[in-house]
Amino acid sequence: MAATFIFSEDAALARQLLTPALALGQPVVALTTDPAEAQTLASLGAGRVLLLKAAATSPEALAPAIAELLAKEQASVVLVGGTLRGKHLAAHVAAALKAGLTTDAKALALVDGKLETQRILYAGLAVSAEVVTLPAVATIPQRTFLAPAPAAQAGTVESVEVAADTRVSVLNVTPMESEGVDITAAIKLVSVGRGFAQKADLALARELGAVLKAELACTRGIAEDEHWLPIERYIGISGQTVKPELYLAVGLSGQVQHMVGCRESKVIVAINKDEQAPIFEAADYGIVGDLYTVLPLLTAALKN
Amino acid sequence: MPKLLVCYKWVLNEQDIKIRPDDLSLDTSRAKGKISDFDRNAIEEASLIVEQQGGTVDALSYGTSAVKQSVKDVLSRGPNRLLWVGDPSAEEADAYVIASVLAAAIRKNGPYDLILCGEGSSDMFYQQIPARLAALLDLPCLTFVQKMTLEGGAVTALRKLGDCTEQVSVTGPAVVSVLSEINKPRIPSLKQVLGAAKKPSEEIPIASLGLTPEELAPKAVRKSPKGFLMNRKNVVYKESDAAANVAKLVASLAAEGLR
Repeated sequence: MAATFIFSEDAALARQLLTPALALGQPVVALTTDPAEAQTLASLGAGRVLLLKAAATSPEALAPAIAELLAKEQASVVLVGGTLRGKHLAAHVAAALKAGLTTDAKALALVDGKLETQRILYAGLAVSAEVVTLPAVATIPQRTFLAPAPAAQAGTVESVEVAADTRVSVLNVTPMESEGVDITAAIKLVSVGRGFAQKADLALARELGAVLKAELACTRGIAEDEHWLPIERYIGISGQTVKPELYLAVGLSGQVQHMVGCRESKVIVAINKDEQAPIFEAADYGIVGDLYTVLPLLTAALKN
Repeated sequence: MPKLLVCYKWVLNEQDIKIRPDDLSLDTSRAKGKISDFDRNAIEEASLIVEQQGGTVDALSYGTSAVKQSVKDVLSRGPNRLLWVGDPSAEEADAYVIASVLAAAIRKNGPYDLILCGEGSSDMFYQQIPARLAALLDLPCLTFVQKMTLEGGAVTALRKLGDCTEQVSVTGPAVVSVLSEINKPRIPSLKQVLGAAKKPSEEIPIASLGLTPEELAPKAVRKSPKGFLMNRKNVVYKESDAAANVAKLVASLAAEGLR
């Protein structure tokens, strides 16, 4: 019988993948390289778990072996956790299976023997359905779904020996510097952009944030180009996606690549000196003015 | 002397696309074309490599007939020669079709020592082509590269993967996808723009690539893209008195329960 296969090297994401996989109504087979996770996935509803035993366990190195395994198993749907490593794996698998692949699927359904998915186009400007012929592959971003509750009956775990692709040598892995701040959990965010002339001026945003009890977030440029804030604080298509109660955007123009990461916020406020900036179209409230004048006034007014 | 290939996509500038308010359909009538953002970094990186150590760069694109408009822009950014496949099938193509066409064109014009791509295109952002190409051409693939060197046929690269960076190396031909921070794409000088006119560009007829109808039919069919509707209050305070604006905003935040 046709089955849905899932894989993610990220344990939390692998569990989340079970939810859309089970909802498709087909038997679910989970692939993992982690013996402890194999049991967990079996207990959460995977009917079968294939525990992959290989000399290297990075998704990229396992891609050819996983593609071969999926071809042998005649997988009908393959859901892969949408980390960057997962996206690499999924694209390799899709090419090997001559399959279509939806990148960053937000919703999935099996309709008339095809996989229907939803995703964004043009950096978030538009949303489109994709109808994918089976076998179909999709990558799913972190936190799109919640992990399911334990299943009534645990699935079985089998070990499978697979060969790793050794053409690429990994010389060194360095964990990214992290402050350990999860801005996706923040209730309020003050988000800064290029309107700030220098790093020291971010103090104005920090002072406002302190009064509002808000975390500091930023645009890609502030994190990636200026390195004024760590990358875990940047919002946008290749950064974090947040849904706070308040998103207060200061000195950022509101390009679609940024807004896609924050447009589900409950209230969006913009402070920008350019009245024509697209951020005002995306905002509930805004002040047209120089942030160097407005922020100290706002901080003082909120203190009272 | 290394022989490099850089793949690029000619896309609509998303900043020019408007959403029709009545049915949320996309109005692309005033959208101009551009080289996809990350592909500019790939072109720059390939050009820097050959400018520093010799060799040649071919640029390759698959698109509709609009891809012709990109010739001068691409060649003024460094590549020695441009190859392009112009065909209406590109309009509906998914990553499966795009990779099939590019791989066939590479087999016909290669082999190459290094194939560079951007991380993803700025229109569809499938982020699939590099790994798909590598799978189809049976080459190793280094994705999401922030920094790289090519030395004596070996590529050493720093990949950036969200929670870590990874130093990797590979010997022999490979596919590499680059991130935007790898370099700053040049603004072509007048001399480079004039020089571009003298460089060869060649259309590859799609029929010459020996692709089956199956390989040109998308596996993932896009249906009715709809603009994302921003449904916001759009209350903007813009008096000349900054303190008055701030007072109004504070009142609004209080009304929302966000003070």
